[in-house]
Amino acid sequence: MKNISKYLLPALLSALILGGCKKSYLETAPSNQVTTDVIFKTTEGAQTALDGLYRLTYTFGIETYGGHDLFGQKAHDLIMDVMGNDMVINSRGYNWFNGDYRYTAGTDPSDGLRSYTTWMYYYQIVNNANNIITAIDKASGAQSEKDKIKGQALFMRAHSYFYLVNFWQHTYKGNESKPGIPVYSEPTSKGNGRGTVQNVYDSLILDLSNAETLLTGKVRRDLSSVDITTVQALRARVALQMEDYATAATYAQKVTSSGKYPLMDNAEYQSGFNSVDNPEWIWGTKVIVDQATVYASWYSHMDAAPFGYASLGQQKKITKALYDQIQNGDIRKTVFTKPGTGTTSIPDYTQTKFHLADPSSWAGDYMYLTVAEAYLIAAEALARTGHEPEAHTALETLIKNRYPAYTSAALSGANLINEILLQRRIELWGEGLALLDIKRLKQGVNRPTGAGNHGAPNYDAIVYTLPDQDPKFLFRVPSEELNSNKSMTAADQNP
Amino acid sequence: MRKLSLLCSLILLCGQLWAQTRTITGKVQDDQGNPIAGATVQAKGTNTASVTTTDGTYTISIPQKVKALIVSYVGYGREELSIGSQTSLTVVLKRTDQSLAEVIVQVPYGTVKKTAFTGSEGTITAQTLDKQQVTSVTKAIEGLVPGIVVTNGGGAPGSSSNVLIRGVGSYQASSDPLWVLDGIPYDGSIEALNMDDIASVTVLKDAAATALYGSRAANGVIMMTTKKGIRGRNTVSVKAVQGYLSRGIPEYDRLGSQQYYELMWEGIRNALVYGQGYTFQSAGIQASQRLTTSANGLAYNAYNVPGDQLVDPATGKLNSSAKLLWNEPWEKALFRTAQRQNVTLGISGAGDKNDYLLSLGYLHEDGIVRFSGIKRYNARLSVNATPNTWLKSGVTLDGSYSNQTGLLSGGGYTSNPFYYTRNMGPIYPVYQHNLSTGAYVIDSATGQRALDWGIPSQMGARPYAPNSNLVGSLALDERSDNIFNGNGNTYLEAKILKDFSFKTTFGITYYDDYNTRYQNSQFGDAANIAGRSTKKSDRRISYTLNEVLTWNKTFGDHNFRVLGGHENYKFINTQEYATRIGFAFPGSPELDNAATTEAASSYTDNLRIESWFSNLNYDYKGRYLLSGSYRRDGTSRFYPTHRWGNFYSVGAGWRISEEDFLKSVRWLNELKLRVSYGEQGNQSLLNPDLLTQKYYAYQNLYSAGNNNASYPGYIPAGLPSPDLVWEGNKTFNVGVDFSLFDRRLQGTVEWFNRISDDLIFGVKVPGSTGFTSFNQNIGALRNRGIEVSLGYNIILKKDFDWRVDVNFTHLTNTFTKLPPGVTEIVDGTNYKKIMVGHSIYDWWVKEYAGVDPATGDALFYKDVLDGNGKTTGQRVLTNNSNNASSYYTGGSSLPKFTGGVTTAFRYKNFDLSVLVTFSKGGKYYDGNFQGIMHPGTFGSAWGKEILNRWQKPGDITNVPRLQNAIAGQDASGSSRWLYDASWLNIKNITLSYRIPNSAIRKAGISGIRVFGNVDNAKLFTSHKGMDPQFAFDGVADATYTPFRTVSFGLNLSL
Repeated sequence: MKNISKYLLPALLSALILGGCKKSYLETAPSNQVTTDVIFKTTEGAQTALDGLYRLTYTFGIETYGGHDLFGQKAHDLIMDVMGNDMVINSRGYNWFNGDYRYTAGTDPSDGLRSYTTWMYYYQIVNNANNIITAIDKASGAQSEKDKIKGQALFMRAHSYFYLVNFWQHTYKGNESKPGIPVYSEPTSKGNGRGTVQNVYDSLILDLSNAETLLTGKVRRDLSSVDITTVQALRARVALQMEDYATAATYAQKVTSSGKYPLMDNAEYQSGFNSVDNPEWIWGTKVIVDQATVYASWYSHMDAAPFGYASLGQQKKITKALYDQIQNGDIRKTVFTKPGTGTTSIPDYTQTKFHLADPSSWAGDYMYLTVAEAYLIAAEALARTGHEPEAHTALETLIKNRYPAYTSAALSGANLINEILLQRRIELWGEGLALLDIKRLKQGVNRPTGAGNHGAPNYDAIVYTLPDQDPKFLFRVPSEELNSNKSMTAADQNP
Repeated sequence: MRKLSLLCSLILLCGQLWAQTRTITGKVQDDQGNPIAGATVQAKGTNTASVTTTDGTYTISIPQKVKALIVSYVGYGREELSIGSQTSLTVVLKRTDQSLAEVIVQVPYGTVKKTAFTGSEGTITAQTLDKQQVTSVTKAIEGLVPGIVVTNGGGAPGSSSNVLIRGVGSYQASSDPLWVLDGIPYDGSIEALNMDDIASVTVLKDAAATALYGSRAANGVIMMTTKKGIRGRNTVSVKAVQGYLSRGIPEYDRLGSQQYYELMWEGIRNALVYGQGYTFQSAGIQASQRLTTSANGLAYNAYNVPGDQLVDPATGKLNSSAKLLWNEPWEKALFRTAQRQNVTLGISGAGDKNDYLLSLGYLHEDGIVRFSGIKRYNARLSVNATPNTWLKSGVTLDGSYSNQTGLLSGGGYTSNPFYYTRNMGPIYPVYQHNLSTGAYVIDSATGQRALDWGIPSQMGARPYAPNSNLVGSLALDERSDNIFNGNGNTYLEAKILKDFSFKTTFGITYYDDYNTRYQNSQFGDAANIAGRSTKKSDRRISYTLNEVLTWNKTFGDHNFRVLGGHENYKFINTQEYATRIGFAFPGSPELDNAATTEAASSYTDNLRIESWFSNLNYDYKGRYLLSGSYRRDGTSRFYPTHRWGNFYSVGAGWRISEEDFLKSVRWLNELKLRVSYGEQGNQSLLNPDLLTQKYYAYQNLYSAGNNNASYPGYIPAGLPSPDLVWEGNKTFNVGVDFSLFDRRLQGTVEWFNRISDDLIFGVKVPGSTGFTSFNQNIGALRNRGIEVSLGYNIILKKDFDWRVDVNFTHLTNTFTKLPPGVTEIVDGTNYKKIMVGHSIYDWWVKEYAGVDPATGDALFYKDVLDGNGKTTGQRVLTNNSNNASSYYTGGSSLPKFTGGVTTAFRYKNFDLSVLVTFSKGGKYYDGNFQGIMHPGTFGSAWGKEILNRWQKPGDITNVPRLQNAIAGQDASGSSRWLYDASWLNIKNITLSYRIPNSAIRKAGISGIRVFGNVDNAKLFTSHKGMDPQFAFDGVADATYTPFRTVSFGLNLSL
């Protein structure tokens, strides 16, 4: 034994020491994540960050919250519509968006509720955009590629600020000096104050104008990417919101005259607004089956045919009041269930405008910006700036496509503007503009009641009228933000 | 050997002193009839003693005047026998675990005698574990060792409890203790282990006890050892248990159909009156009309009168001529009394140079909810060999395969049967009924009663969970886990040179969970897409390799034990899953049967730790004890310059009873004072969900999988935290162990102060920056407490003994430091706020001020702010909960004290033991109850207490006015739902009977014990239906309720 141990001990001791490993033993890296350095080393890498950013616009959930009313931009479009005058919710169903319909959702600042998730949704996009905007210049790659990526990120930032300021404050005009929302030009973990509405618009207009410059002459990859016309379409929408009609007209006409967006034929109009191949879409995104968010999706809440939430009681309906103002023969009247033809699952006035191409799959593309809106912006802005002939042309170009017998020739002044606004409500029904219009037109909420309209036997809206600038229009600043943002105090809360 | 010869010479000596001696022979055996080798047989009142041989026999020569023998053995009791005129005496010793003397304690990298131990520990032996018929050892240790708190962990078959040792020691990192199985840190599934294979569970609590596992021991260590073959006892044993499971906590009382309609009517009426300005009269008429409509009512009419005539618009009372057409409680359809069977076969033994143990186990446990259960198969083999005098080696292999069929039991999902059945209004049936006669509708295809899915084409769009029927979908869906859990431990131990020994141990754990989640293609959520199936594999492999060199040396009265070692740890977790939709046929959930891939993902995580450690134990005459250890660990979780942490401990003990001045005090058998201090580390950083591990926090990362159609997309993973370092846990412990009155009373009293600092926090950043938090080492938290455990043998007679064990823990938890500039951290989701001076679980809630007697509004307090948004100190009442301020009101969710009492009787061959556990103090937020106390949500059930609602001006009550869809009255997050969390649980009652050996020996059986027991016999709480033991943070969830198990079983050994 002695002999053995004589050799064994040194052997064992050296084994003990050799047991210590190489330095690299403690280096581990994730398998499904890459470092920021890798992402922003090249423009190809930065493109993946941009695609991630676009994906956020239709991804499910926010932070750790997974409510089925959280599916990105289209959820916010739907919030804008259910807060408007023209969309009726058939019955309570699973309660998604019912709080928005009743103007109670955004007024609770607690974590995980509407004001929190909307805030986080847009600010998450702002931060992603800021990462790209800050890092892209140092990436290797062609300057034109860098410009293209940066321009798109600037657009996304501006788009988010536009929605944020409109959810957290009344319309621009007359409220320019009221509290806005925090604006950030680069990634940070230090919070900014609310500033003013004017600051927010200044910032987002600067972003859009930089984006326009950077994207000039660039060809986009697909409809989910932003190009110069997309920037112009949003710029027109922003200008209209600001009641800057001259700019609105200029930009809307840049879009309509771009020649890139022919109008649909009637068959296309009835095909469900579910494909990026729709010729009128300026910006939208392809939603393939493994990226569809199933119950928590736009089509689940809109299309009453498959077993989504819309089929479980929350069918989305047009008001009888607006339906009756659509002319017979207008193709747009055919995408709502004709009174008297409804069933239990698809009642009268239920929308069929937006539906899945194939109800056995949740894959359906999302529409963000269309040329039809640009025509309507152009018409309204031209009419309001004294260019009535051009306004008629813009309006009729669009509406004759939907209803060949259409003419607005006899109208002028306020009547013409009212007609444009009516056509706007009909044309853009369900496209997420209702609340923006209510705010900028300063007419408050006026929901028609009685048979076929809001209220029993449909789901009780509780709120039927609301004066312009009522505090209920304003989302609360999330408590989380007030608790952690040193540039804000309880006094920064909306009333 | 030396001891034996010493004893022999003593006997020899005695023989010379007393000429008149006599010789007694006999045998010492355990209660199974197995011989006990090495037991001490002593002549009472003398120093004369003998030791039993391998077959348990002894021979002792004693003076004539000696009247009794005292027989004892380590780990067994102590028997005193009067001799009388007999010359042959057979003695039965019972196993005990409370004998303080000569108990061996499992410590990192070895064992130590309890008398020589300077640390704080609590050991539970197999005998105690054996009484509880639970599937996971985590559920058996509650109430047995002071200083630990256990959640009930949900009652799902095969689930484990969470365990905390000496309080919550972390905020954003794990507070789970380190589990060690046979000396190897254990990453496998605890519920995969067969309880019958476990020999002991040792809870190590202070720094001196745990420091050698420094890197992972900050939250304490739980050492499990498995059974080994015992020399001289070649046995075959069988244990078989049959159990019956039922709900351990009753469901809340809820309203029946009549009251449900009447109160819903009231809720609708009040919505029209108070919300929309209707008069009571017109609102009553409207409410009666709306009551059973789909759009603004309950959709279903469970009575045989027209819906608009169901409730009288003037009185709000149900039409007296209405007859109820159906009444089908969902819990009756989904819950059941379930069965449990558990069989273990063990074969073990040992020879001179080796020992072996083979164990096979089978467990079948059904859940108390239909369609849930577990089947588990275990096999274990342990072999140790000593081929020569200097080498020893052994291997333990165990594997378990379990098949769990489960269901979603947590969260407010309508696929969760607990949430579903609790909240489903009483008027919604399981089966479809004819709306005028109430007769069952028969499904023409199957000839069976047709289920009601709550959709318009059947009985209507049920406002609660439409398009669902769990009785139907749980039968067709699949939610299963097939888990393989394997462990292999092997070691080689060599004695080298004179006083050295070297031991290297290699352990591997392999865990693979193959999970299926299938939503059927015919009904419910996935009907429109023809079914959806997800197959997921979660594979975890961990390796531990260590090498330890130990030096044992005695110089006179100075005893030294020094060890040094090195350890490598590697953990690999691979996850992959795929989901497909579009099944052609119902039945098989395999993906090949489905057409379209809806999701697919895979990734791997790696964690590595490398450690160097050393330890010194010194004692002088076994009287003055000193220990110290030092450990250095590196982890892959932190940035290279921060990844190494240094941990240490020092401990000292003084066995006062060994001092000469106390030796003469006969009633004092043992008195030891011990003190320790040390620091350990914690690197188990968690994601914000506080469930999953975060491995790469220091890196600035973008996450894959955020693809935009067919283009790969990445988004930021979070704010990086390159400055993170190990969390530290500094524990000071002082304890006294004593044993008095001929060792009939034993006890330990300890005081500890545990400071957890450099705590990792998700420091809040404003959400407008895109994230809400990032990790930083910023805080300090103190857990301070007293632990007392006492055991007393009240009666100790040959045929009758009675012992009571009590343990008690008082603990406070306080934040002592937050980051500079941060005065508070609000956790709005769990209604907590952290501040210096408050505990981690102090409630921060809206203060409910009751109901305004004039209006019936719920009232809350609100701070009055000055022009700058600062509080003025004044507060006013508000009826809009959105405007209410939150306060520290309601204390903490942590109890003031917890404990357990075990009382054990033996009368002849009967044993009866009762374990009672209790917790006093703290508040529990009963969100489950809140869910059934809504102001009038259509379709949702109501708790009985809703009958106390405010109805008319002047009513004094705590339950506000009913009003459907009222805004700003939500008492969510308010003190209204805080209840006293105190509870007392009769956790276990066991009665057993050992059939006398004489009766069975002829059949070749050496022992039979039959027993019956009840686990979770009765829980007492402040509020019926509540489960205050569900979570440490006091927040409720609609989880599997704990169950009561009544079992009968048999132990048989050959």
